[in-house]
Amino acid sequence: MQKFEILKHPADLKIKVFGKTKEDLFLNALLAMEEGLRPELEGKKVKREIKIRSFDLSALLVDFLSEALYLIQINKEIYNNIKFKKTSSTGLEAELFGQKVERFGEDIKAVTHHDLDIHQKEDGSFEATILFDI
Amino acid sequence: MINKQDFKKINDWLWEIPKSFKQGMRVPVRIYVSEKMLDDIFRDKSIEQIINVSTLPGIQKYALAMPDMHEGYASPIGGIAAIRISDGVISPGMQGYDINCGMRLLKSDYSEKEIRPYLESLATEIQKEVPSGLGKGRQTKLSISEIDKVLESGAKYLVKQGYGQEEDIESCEANGRLEYADAGAVSSHAKDRGRDQVGTLGSGNHFLEIQKVAEVFDERASKSFGLFKDQIVIMIHCGSRGLGHQVCTDYLREFIPLMENKYKIPVPDREFACVPFNSPEGQRALAASAAAANYAWANRQMIAHFVRKAWGSVLGEKTSPLVILYDVAHNIIKKEKYLINGEETEMAIHRKGATRAFPPGHPEIPEKYREVGQPVLIPGSMGTASYILVGQKEGEQAFYSTCHGAGRTMSRHQAVRTITGQEVVKNLEQKGILVKCRSLRGIAEEAPLAYKNIDDVVDVVHNAGLSKKVAKLVPLAVIKGE
Repeated sequence: MQKFEILKHPADLKIKVFGKTKEDLFLNALLAMEEGLRPELEGKKVKREIKIRSFDLSALLVDFLSEALYLIQINKEIYNNIKFKKTSSTGLEAELFGQKVERFGEDIKAVTHHDLDIHQKEDGSFEATILFDI
Repeated sequence: MINKQDFKKINDWLWEIPKSFKQGMRVPVRIYVSEKMLDDIFRDKSIEQIINVSTLPGIQKYALAMPDMHEGYASPIGGIAAIRISDGVISPGMQGYDINCGMRLLKSDYSEKEIRPYLESLATEIQKEVPSGLGKGRQTKLSISEIDKVLESGAKYLVKQGYGQEEDIESCEANGRLEYADAGAVSSHAKDRGRDQVGTLGSGNHFLEIQKVAEVFDERASKSFGLFKDQIVIMIHCGSRGLGHQVCTDYLREFIPLMENKYKIPVPDREFACVPFNSPEGQRALAASAAAANYAWANRQMIAHFVRKAWGSVLGEKTSPLVILYDVAHNIIKKEKYLINGEETEMAIHRKGATRAFPPGHPEIPEKYREVGQPVLIPGSMGTASYILVGQKEGEQAFYSTCHGAGRTMSRHQAVRTITGQEVVKNLEQKGILVKCRSLRGIAEEAPLAYKNIDDVVDVVHNAGLSKKVAKLVPLAVIKGE
């Protein structure tokens, strides 16, 4: 299954993300964002804990990615796996697993709420469209 | 769907979409654009987005867009909303994430001929001194108490610490410091992101250029600004880095529930995330936004310090110094006063990708420029011309705002597929322009073909009377941080 695709946008990074489950969708959105940062890996393994409460599911996706972006940027690292401990439509608790980064090739300023769409399809899988400001 | 027939032509440089076009519009939309450029703006969602701006509570006269407009989020880039403070909103999303992204221009006493032999070393040294901040960054990390001082005192704090002169402050919009900033309104996340980024450029379209004055259009203003033909100048384009991005992210997170549940403000795009300007939450957002703006002025002050250091180390410590012409924001929320229905009214001017351009005689511009008007700094796309303009009385129609750059027309992705970084570097080198950039991909993304023609953009604001051309600058070296 394809994890994400890049959509047309004149200035920023717009992506469509897919996931068999909601958790899968959140992981793939994180991986898409990290690809946009073009990291050069250093290799040392890292683990972080993350706890988010949000207004609704759309906001949860943005808040989760924003919190991950904060951790990525201040610690100079990326995450390639998530262990979800708790999830609901307005909150999550998880562990992020990844590695240290030497440098990033590009900056992502923020995860926007603009034109954000997250929905469950008839086959039960999830799909989301997200715009990142770069 | 909107088409050209829905536009009313006001004059050759100004088009209007009437308030009746869509339900919810509180004021008409006015777009400064030539007929030649009009087709360009139909290519993306920027018209739909500026119509959305016209629905914001408290907006006065028009939702305005500049000729460099392109699709953004909430407002298009190149959008202006003048919102009455007494009954209007503050919208962090309308300002955008890069709070006080802006321009600073340093001028030298030298001509191109004198600097040519040193150009390569200057570009190399400047690149070494001013990192992008995407790698190891500045090796110095400020403490939280130092960050608080930067947030509350902006460029002034750094000058006090020895990173510049008193005259630098006078040459900045708002003297490089908005006094209503409050470090207490900025989250610890934002402060963390700002600790090692004072004096870093960032990436994307942010850059440093060594340029020369290629053409002088207005002798009087040029004299006042201290410009002469073939003069070497250095242009800096950057903003508030991760700190500003986090401030905007934080307030959107807090304001979306407040907007939808507490204040029940209907908006066509959640990204506006607005609350009443005079509410306690709105006042805190204003104080946080001002603090991030101060951080950006400090960032450009620190970058100028390191550019001066590089300048001194290449040309000798006794060389004549680099003097700031001006420093001006193009993403900001400012309190300004305008006549609305004959009464002086306090407004929150939200400029997103638009530059303030105060007219001659305005009390908020440095005394040395007061007779001619505020200098306006407009960067072109990489390797093309940039402009110095001057604010005009006629600019009041646009709440003394003008364009901010060339404006993208092609996605970064498409640019990379259309041209390689090597080709861009080769094209620039053929024009005699040096390129110092770590990432060839970054160069391809910023290729001139991905942008509108800066000459066309500037002609519109010049002919519309929003700001007049003073001088045209062309690059000799383009520098992106390591």
